[in-house]
Amino acid sequence: MAFLNPAKKTWGISLGPSAYRLVGLVILLAALAWRVNNVLSLQSYTAQYWTLQLINGLILGGLYALVAMGYTLVYGILLMINFAHGEVMMIGGFAGYFALTGFQTLGWTNGTPFESGLSVVLALLVGMLASLIAGIALERIAYRPLRNAPRLVPLISAVGASFFLQYTVLLIFGVTPHYYQKPAIISSGLSVGDTGVFISYTGLFIFFSSIFLMLMLYLIVSRSKMGRAMRSVAESKEISALMGVNVDKVIVFTFALGSVLAGAAGVMLGLHNTVMKFNSGFFPGIKAFTAAVIGGIGNLPGALLGAFSLGILEAVGPSALGLPSEYKDVIAFSVLILVLIFRPTGILGEVLSEGKA
Amino acid sequence: MSKKLFTLFALLTIASLALAACGPAPTATTAPAEGGLLMGMDQAELEAAGYVVYAPSEPIRIGISSGLTGPIPDLGLDTANGALLAFDDVNAAGGLMGHMYESDLQDGACDGDQGTVVGNLFAADPSIVAVQGGLCTGETIGLRAIMEEARIPLVSASSTFPGVTAPEWTVMNRTPLPDTLQADVDAAYIYNDLGITSIALIHDSGEYGLGLAELIQGSFEALGGTVTSINGHQVGDTDFRSTLTTIGTEGAGLIFFGGYATEAGLIASQMGEAGLTDVIFMSGDGALTEQYIDAAGAAAEGTYVSTGVGDLNVDAAAEFDAKYEAKFGSAPDGPYHYHAYDAIMMIAAAIEQVAQTDEGGEGYLIIEREALITAIRSTSGFPGITGTLTCTEIGDCSAGGIAIYVVQDGAFVQVSGFGLTD
Repeated sequence: MAFLNPAKKTWGISLGPSAYRLVGLVILLAALAWRVNNVLSLQSYTAQYWTLQLINGLILGGLYALVAMGYTLVYGILLMINFAHGEVMMIGGFAGYFALTGFQTLGWTNGTPFESGLSVVLALLVGMLASLIAGIALERIAYRPLRNAPRLVPLISAVGASFFLQYTVLLIFGVTPHYYQKPAIISSGLSVGDTGVFISYTGLFIFFSSIFLMLMLYLIVSRSKMGRAMRSVAESKEISALMGVNVDKVIVFTFALGSVLAGAAGVMLGLHNTVMKFNSGFFPGIKAFTAAVIGGIGNLPGALLGAFSLGILEAVGPSALGLPSEYKDVIAFSVLILVLIFRPTGILGEVLSEGKA
Repeated sequence: MSKKLFTLFALLTIASLALAACGPAPTATTAPAEGGLLMGMDQAELEAAGYVVYAPSEPIRIGISSGLTGPIPDLGLDTANGALLAFDDVNAAGGLMGHMYESDLQDGACDGDQGTVVGNLFAADPSIVAVQGGLCTGETIGLRAIMEEARIPLVSASSTFPGVTAPEWTVMNRTPLPDTLQADVDAAYIYNDLGITSIALIHDSGEYGLGLAELIQGSFEALGGTVTSINGHQVGDTDFRSTLTTIGTEGAGLIFFGGYATEAGLIASQMGEAGLTDVIFMSGDGALTEQYIDAAGAAAEGTYVSTGVGDLNVDAAAEFDAKYEAKFGSAPDGPYHYHAYDAIMMIAAAIEQVAQTDEGGEGYLIIEREALITAIRSTSGFPGITGTLTCTEIGDCSAGGIAIYVVQDGAFVQVSGFGLTD
C-alpha cells in the first residue's frame, strides 16, 4: 500500500537504508551528469535548438499541469486516484471539437480576428462545461456510493469508469479520429526576430491560458470560503463535518474544479495536436498523474512543478542524453520510479496531518 | 444474501444454456446417401480428413479480416467493402452449383494480437473455406500462423511488407505489390526527380512502418543519398514536435514516414511549427486515404504519398466504382478496394476449380483444403481489376507498379509512376 500512502516513510528518518539510497542517488546523478556532458561536447546543437525544445516542453508542461491539478485535488480530499480523469479531459476535447465545427459552419473560425478568437474561447468554455458535467456525474455515480468502502474499491471503480467512458465515446462517435481545424487566429505563429525560434500561437495560447486557469484555481483554494472548506476537508472529513462544513458539497466542488481544468486541457490538447479520439485522454492522463506524483500528489504547487518538469524533461531529455526522441516516455517513467524510490512523497511532498499520514 | 447469489447463479446457468442452444445448428440435416458422401466417408469423416463440406444449399463461407478499428479504420472499411462487393457479384452470377457465397467479416484491428484472435475464430469454424485479409502487415502475420496450421488459404489485399509471403507459408498469398518495389520507386523519385540527396525517416515501430522505412533507407543509400536519422514513434502518438525539431538540425530536404494516415497527417501538420517549412513530406500506401488529408489540414498541400497500383482494367474499375457507390453510398477511398475485390474473385475462381459434389447427387458441395491451397497458389493469368494476376511460387499475385501522388487542393493527384497517362 506504500503507493497509495506515500508519506508513511519520510525522507531521512531511518538512517540505514536511506544512507544507501543517498549513495545510490549521488552515483546515479554523477553518471547522468557525465553522460550529458559527453553528449553535449559531441553534439553541436545550437541555442536555437534548445530554445525550440524548451518551448515544446513548456507547452506540454502547461497541458500536463491542468490535468495534474485534477488528480491532486481529488487525491488531497478523498485520498483516491481518479483514474477516469483523463477521460473527463477527452470528453471536454470532443465537446470543444463539436463546438468548433459548429462555429466553422457559422464562418466564425476563419472570420474576423474577433470572431475567430471568440470561437476559441467559446469552444474552451463548452469543453469545460462538458467536462464539468462528466466529472460531477462520475463523482455521483462511481465514487460517492463507495465513499466509506475500503480504499481499493473506489480505485477499481475509477478504472472501470475510465473504460466505460472510453468505450461509450467509441460507440457514439466511432473509431475514426476527429481532426480539429485550428481557427485562423491561432493557426500561424510567431518568429522571434531572426533567431529562427518559432512559437505557434496555439502554444502561446495554451501556455498562458493554463497559467491563468491555475492562478484562478490557486486563488479559489487559498482565498475563498469554499477553498477554506476544501482545505479543512482535506485535513479531516469528520472534524470538518462537525464544524459545520457540508462535506458532500465540498467534494462535488472539488471534482467540479478538477473537471473544468481537465475540460480546458482537453480542448487545448485538441487544438495543439489537432486530433481527438476515444482513447486520446488515456495516455495524457497517465502522464499528468505521473507529473502529480513527481511533484507530490495532494499538493497543488507540487503538481505544477511536476508537470513542467515532466514536460521539459520529455522535450529536452532525449537530446541531452543522446537518445532518439522515442525514449521520451522511458525517461518520463524512469524519473517517476526514481522519485518514488528516493523521495516517495514527491518533490514537494504533501503537507500531511498526523491522521492522514 | 446467499439466496440472492443462488438465484443469480441459476439465472446465469439458464441464460448460458439458452445461448448455447442458439449456436450453429447441426449441419447434417439431410441424411447422407448410403455409403457416405465421397469415397465412402460421411461429413464428419470428410471434415476430419481435410475437406470442407456444405450441405445442400448451405452457403460457401469466406472469412474477411480487416482493421475496422485501430489506426486506419477508414482504409479498413474501404478494403472490406471492396471484398464485400465481390460476394454480390459472384452471387449475382448464380453462386456455385446451387451454393451461394457468404462473407464473415471480422475486425482484425490492424493489430497482430487481434489478428490471432480472428484467426482462431476462423480456424474453429469448419465452414470457413478461405480467408481474405488482414489489412495491416502485423494483423496478417498474426492470422498467417493460425491459417497455416488450420490449412485455410489466406489472401491479403493490403499487406505490403515483403516478409509477409515466404516459401514456408504455404497458405499465404497477396494481391498488392510488396514494399520492396515501392521503396525503390520512391527513393528514385526523391533522388532523381525531386533532386533531394538527404532525407530523414520516421516510422511507427510497426512491422509495416518500420519495414518500409528500412527499405527506403536501403534503396536511397544505394542511389548515393544520405539518411540523416531514423526516428521511431508509436501508432497513436500525437506529438511529433520534439522529433521534428531534432530533424530540423540535420539539414534533411525531405521527411519520409513509414506508417498510417493519422500519424502521417499529424507529422505533416506539425512540421511548420518545428520550423521545417521548406522540407518536403512523403509517406507510403498506409497513408493514402482521405483520413490523411483531414489530419494534415492545410499542411497536406504539396506533400507526396505513394502506393502500389494495379495494372488497372479501366472499364472494370469504373463498373466497380459505380456499384460501390450504389451499395455503400460513398465513392471508394483508399488504395486497396480493387485488390480486395480481386482477392475474393481469385478465391472464388479457385473454389470453382476444386469443388466437387457428393457421389449420391444430394447437392452437397465438397472442397478439399489442400487442393484449394494449391489452386489459389497456381492462379495464372487471372483477369482482375488490378491487372492480369499470376501468383509466384511464394504467393505474390500482384500486377502493376508504384504510383506517386501529390496533394493538390485537398485531393491526391498522380505526378509520377505507373499508369500515368500524359
